[in-house]
Amino acid sequence: MSAADLAQVAASGLLIGLLYALIAAGLSLIFGLMDVVNFAHGELLMLAMYATFLLNRAAGLDPLLATPLIALFLFALGLVLYRGLMARALTVTVNRGMVQIFITFGLAIFLRGAAQFAFGAEFRSIPKSWLANESARLGPVILPWPQLAAGLIAFLAFLLLFLVLRSEFGRALEATREDREAVALIGIDRERIFALGFGLGTGAVGIAGAALAAFYYISPDVGANFALIAYVTVALGGFGSLAGALLAGILIGEVEAFTAFLLTPSLKQLGMFALYVAVLALRPQGLFGARQ
Amino acid sequence: MSHPHALPAPSLLLAHRRRGLALAGFFLLLLLGGAGVSDPYTANLLIIALLFAGLAQSWNLLGGFCGQISLGHALYFGLGAYLTTLARLDHIPTLAALPAAALVGGAAAVLIGLPVFRLTGHHYAIATLVIAEAVYLLFLNWDWVGAASGLFVSYQGESWLDLSFRTSKFPYLLAMLLYAGGITALAWALSAARLGYDWRAVRDDPAAAASLGVGVHQVKLLAALLSGAGTALGGGLYAAYVNYVDPDSVMASRLSIEIALPAVMGGVGTLWGPLIGAAVEVPVSEFSRSYMGGSGQGFDLMVYGGLIMAIALFRPEGLASLLAGLRRRGRTA
Amino acid sequence: MRWRPGGRVRFFAALVLSGFLLAQSMAARAADAPDIPIGAVFPLTGNGSEVGLDAKAALETEAEIINTPHPPIPMLLGAGGGLPHLGGAKVRLIFADSQNDPQKARAEAERLITQEHVVAIIGSYTSATAATISQVADRYEIPYISSDNSSPSLSARGLKWFFRTSPHDVMFTQAMFDFFDWIGKKTGRPPKSLALIYEDSIFGADSSRVQKEMAAAAHLPIVADIRYRANSPSLSAEAERLRAAHADVLMPSSYTNDAILLMRAMHELGYQPPAIMAQDAGFVQKAFLDAVGPLAEGVMSRSAFALDAVAARPAIPAVNQRYRARSGKDLNDLTGRELTALQVLADAIDRAGSTDHEKLRAALRATDIDGKQTIMPWQGVRFDETGQNVEATPVIQQVIGGAYVTVFPPEVATHAPLWHVGE
Repeated sequence: MSAADLAQVAASGLLIGLLYALIAAGLSLIFGLMDVVNFAHGELLMLAMYATFLLNRAAGLDPLLATPLIALFLFALGLVLYRGLMARALTVTVNRGMVQIFITFGLAIFLRGAAQFAFGAEFRSIPKSWLANESARLGPVILPWPQLAAGLIAFLAFLLLFLVLRSEFGRALEATREDREAVALIGIDRERIFALGFGLGTGAVGIAGAALAAFYYISPDVGANFALIAYVTVALGGFGSLAGALLAGILIGEVEAFTAFLLTPSLKQLGMFALYVAVLALRPQGLFGARQ
Repeated sequence: MSHPHALPAPSLLLAHRRRGLALAGFFLLLLLGGAGVSDPYTANLLIIALLFAGLAQSWNLLGGFCGQISLGHALYFGLGAYLTTLARLDHIPTLAALPAAALVGGAAAVLIGLPVFRLTGHHYAIATLVIAEAVYLLFLNWDWVGAASGLFVSYQGESWLDLSFRTSKFPYLLAMLLYAGGITALAWALSAARLGYDWRAVRDDPAAAASLGVGVHQVKLLAALLSGAGTALGGGLYAAYVNYVDPDSVMASRLSIEIALPAVMGGVGTLWGPLIGAAVEVPVSEFSRSYMGGSGQGFDLMVYGGLIMAIALFRPEGLASLLAGLRRRGRTA
Repeated sequence: MRWRPGGRVRFFAALVLSGFLLAQSMAARAADAPDIPIGAVFPLTGNGSEVGLDAKAALETEAEIINTPHPPIPMLLGAGGGLPHLGGAKVRLIFADSQNDPQKARAEAERLITQEHVVAIIGSYTSATAATISQVADRYEIPYISSDNSSPSLSARGLKWFFRTSPHDVMFTQAMFDFFDWIGKKTGRPPKSLALIYEDSIFGADSSRVQKEMAAAAHLPIVADIRYRANSPSLSAEAERLRAAHADVLMPSSYTNDAILLMRAMHELGYQPPAIMAQDAGFVQKAFLDAVGPLAEGVMSRSAFALDAVAARPAIPAVNQRYRARSGKDLNDLTGRELTALQVLADAIDRAGSTDHEKLRAALRATDIDGKQTIMPWQGVRFDETGQNVEATPVIQQVIGGAYVTVFPPEVATHAPLWHVGE
């Protein structure tokens, strides 16, 4: 094993880690805003991937170009889901935490069934895209273009999210998060803010899905491959923290890659779990989480 | 419930006793009805429904009464199933292995509870999910317990001591009835005992409970002990019934949700909730698979997921509340 | 006061709707005339459903060939019009969804036996579900026909009602090592090292165990032994390990999704193993070939079926055409085996002249079918005392020109193999 091998593994870990971070960002945003863990997050990712695939098949649109469209589509889907489902779940007075977990869990199962109904059980993949099978070289390190593009897109999406959170809308989000009742007094429509915030979170996962679809396979169950990692990323980074999600996603990508390369690949998620448990023992609120 | 340590008023005590009688009557009816079931498919349905009723009732001790939403109960189920299977492979009678399985499950729940109960809300839920997944991965790679291949117990003839029967379903039905009934009786007894009040106090407001002198941490650990033991016992019975365990079927995270689901659908923190939830959820999932899954179009998942959403949205207090509503209406009429 | 549908009403509406759907699907089922009911348990939803749905199409194709009148196809029961010794009785397939869960597979098998009164069960793709289905079948004394479970341990459990038409992993792996031996002698460039990569499932465990035993026996060093987590988001680090080990032959055991990911990950690192010898599964799926396109060129796999062996098995084109019409795909290793399992079972029922279970078992035991009477490149079908078909001789296939062609053994080969080891 050489230094070049290690650099290669580190690069792979970074690229996939950025995607983990972006997937987790949407989850974290929604959580921070309305204290809801969306257990259908992986299925939203799956829908975004199918949407990218269908756009590519029907219109020949490259995944790279499709990304903004998919983000918009997922944003709209998020609005619909919020108005139709989550808004109601948030007004529940009994067993609130429980109801929210299982509403999104039921939604996850429903979406998987719906995806199999609509698209079949086959594994799909986008056969041709501009960047497919191309690699960039950085010294001895090979960076496959689809993954590199996905990493860059994830990074840009993060910048965008940070900007949004600095805007007036972001301040309204922040105020709503701080005090849900009081914002009504200063003329902020809480429902509207929540709906937009939920849409923003699902939009972020839409971007991740489009970037991922360029090189990953697509099936009704594909969301599950990323969901658990997303929950761990959010908990590790701190619920509601965007910077936490970014750092935690990259950390998890690296830990996974190095566990797989140096130790046992079949136990690579154990490395990520160990990291999570270790951080939790020292900082129960996660890396960037606010103290409870 | 005003004050966590107030003694129950006589009228409440009476209601508690009435509830106990109703539950006992329910299980007695099931026993009589179950004895008449000769069709193996129906018997299997009853067995699985009772298993999940007992599992959900166990989960309910911690998740419902004590308010700690665990998403990692597959871990205790799996430990019980594996321990029982390993004992059976060593020719230790199943009936002797089951208490040991419960003990190990309870101990594991306490061990995990020690650090994890410092977390609250979603942090706690995610932590339980992750720990269970980590142990699942370990089992998947641990050759001594068969790793991914799992462990298979071959048929050695009929025996009550080993809970082994060729095609007869009634003994398993009886075992599951005892299991679900036993855990329900325990929950019933505790619901009116000091511990039950402490649990609800911790669930409603941990800070207030602590200020009233409730040992929050100890009370949670006791809930974990009983809940983990009950779940592991269920895992042991499952292993005796199915005769094959592998990490995917007894430890996967999907199972953690399936264990909690009946309690949530029926009504968390109630005695009837897990029973009603299992009575609805298990048949719906079985029928939809048996009669719609064959189409291979995902209908079964859509119905199942839709039903979970519908109940969570429109009956957040659980299906048990429908029953209570009916009774109230009957009384006023 | 205006009436608004309350929560409870809407909930019951949902309940009624689901009940309606259920009743409808049951009614559709009852319309079929009951002839000879045969159960089939496969994963039809969830993970593995892609393969399960293909299996469904394959079995339906064979049932159609047996039942309906059509121009004769040159194979056993290829004349159509039902089972001759049973007065032209038709076979009726009843499918059940295992969801790839051993407990559910078991429950479905029991339902098929006790409610649908099936005379035998065919299954089940994954070995974990086969373990429980075969056990239930044994207890009810109904034959279980394993069409595609390759775990050798299944036939070593002393079950009396277990019959496996398919080869198992020992037979498959033997074919791979026979090929290495043969090509080494032929070209003078035998493989000198192997790399194994296999998923952390019962399939990966069985496959790799046999491969390690045979590699040791053949004195071939294994320079990378990688058990990986199935369904991972990335296999880049695993591919990097393979590249660092650069073995002569890479031997992967993966399902479709991971096969796609692994091929792409190796390619992205600029790594192309001199030879890839796959343990079937994902590497022969159409979805894999579609997804990786030219990267698959030269990939070899063991197979129980050879689509191109038309000269030796003239029934293939007609059967394949019918299967294509149903599924839009060509027959492959798995679907070929599933289809043949039903053919073998139907022949046994026909010879038994009855659906009595003891007579059926005796007929299965007495099975002796010439390979030419099937679509498989096997010597034939004959069961040993464990219920294993000992004449199911596998072949080695290679992707040449974008499709799998048979390259070994020479008797059925249609192409010369591409062999880059030692160049």
